[in-house]
Amino acid sequence: MISNLIFMNGYGVFVWASFALTFLVCAVVYYRTSKTLKKYEKEFAKEIEALSTEQKKVVLEKSKVASKVFSSFNKTI
Amino acid sequence: MFNFLSNSNIFIWIEKLINFIHSIFFALLLAALSFALIFSPPDYLQGDSVRIMYVHVPAAWIGLASFSCIALLSILNFIFRVKNLTLITKSIAPIGLMFTCIAIVTGSIWGQPTWGTFWAWDARITSMVILALFYFIIIASHKLISEEAKANKISSIIAAIGLINIPIIKYSVEWWSTLHQPASIKITGTSTIHSSMLMPLLLMFLVLIMYCALIFLMKYKTEIIRIKKKNLKRYD
Repeated sequence: MISNLIFMNGYGVFVWASFALTFLVCAVVYYRTSKTLKKYEKEFAKEIEALSTEQKKVVLEKSKVASKVFSSFNKTI
Repeated sequence: MFNFLSNSNIFIWIEKLINFIHSIFFALLLAALSFALIFSPPDYLQGDSVRIMYVHVPAAWIGLASFSCIALLSILNFIFRVKNLTLITKSIAPIGLMFTCIAIVTGSIWGQPTWGTFWAWDARITSMVILALFYFIIIASHKLISEEAKANKISSIIAAIGLINIPIIKYSVEWWSTLHQPASIKITGTSTIHSSMLMPLLLMFLVLIMYCALIFLMKYKTEIIRIKKKNLKRYD
């Protein structure tokens, strides 16, 4: 059963190569996209942090995105 | 009226959707892989090599659907000038390119045991390569042109021109004599694929569509943050 699954009557190398390539590319793209997103979130939260107290208050009240990113960044640190 | 379409509201929905997809993705992937590699039967003619179909066909569908989506949204953007549409097309393009390349490479791997060659300048394969080139030009225009409005305009024009290639890909197997087999699954008409193979194929398609949605949402979220980050500079 196991050897049949691996060799697939001689087609195993083609089938496994196709699946491995597809899911490897998917995993790399997922990792890179997630990394970029985290980088932007971190930079954005740091820029908010660098604002003066008054400006920070205005930004966090006005923008749901800013307050969401800022609060989730503060949770992780 | 369109307040629910604001970036802030979209951002909150994106977070919810990402969490939802994360919660069910791996269970679905495991089921799809089990059916594709173990439970589905081998083909009477192609044997086990037919299993390549479970990644090749959904990848090709996604490549074609993504480009159609980009082209249609670009045309709509020309007419209505909605900024979100640009963000959507920009986020879809890399996913479309990735799946088009996967379809080409897995097709090439499938070609060796089936046709006896990895590559042939066949009408279907060549038109898929042209599709990948269109994707590449769209992505490059966003990367290389610093003026955003100009980059959007150029990429939209390229997408609209590239739309001509979609029916060529679809009907290439009927219009020309090709190595590539005609479609087995037809939306209008009777499909020639057995349900024992159709079910795993649709399951794998669902998994890959969910993966695309996940990547798209993450890219879209990144774009929203990038815009908000730019707007934040006003406070400096």
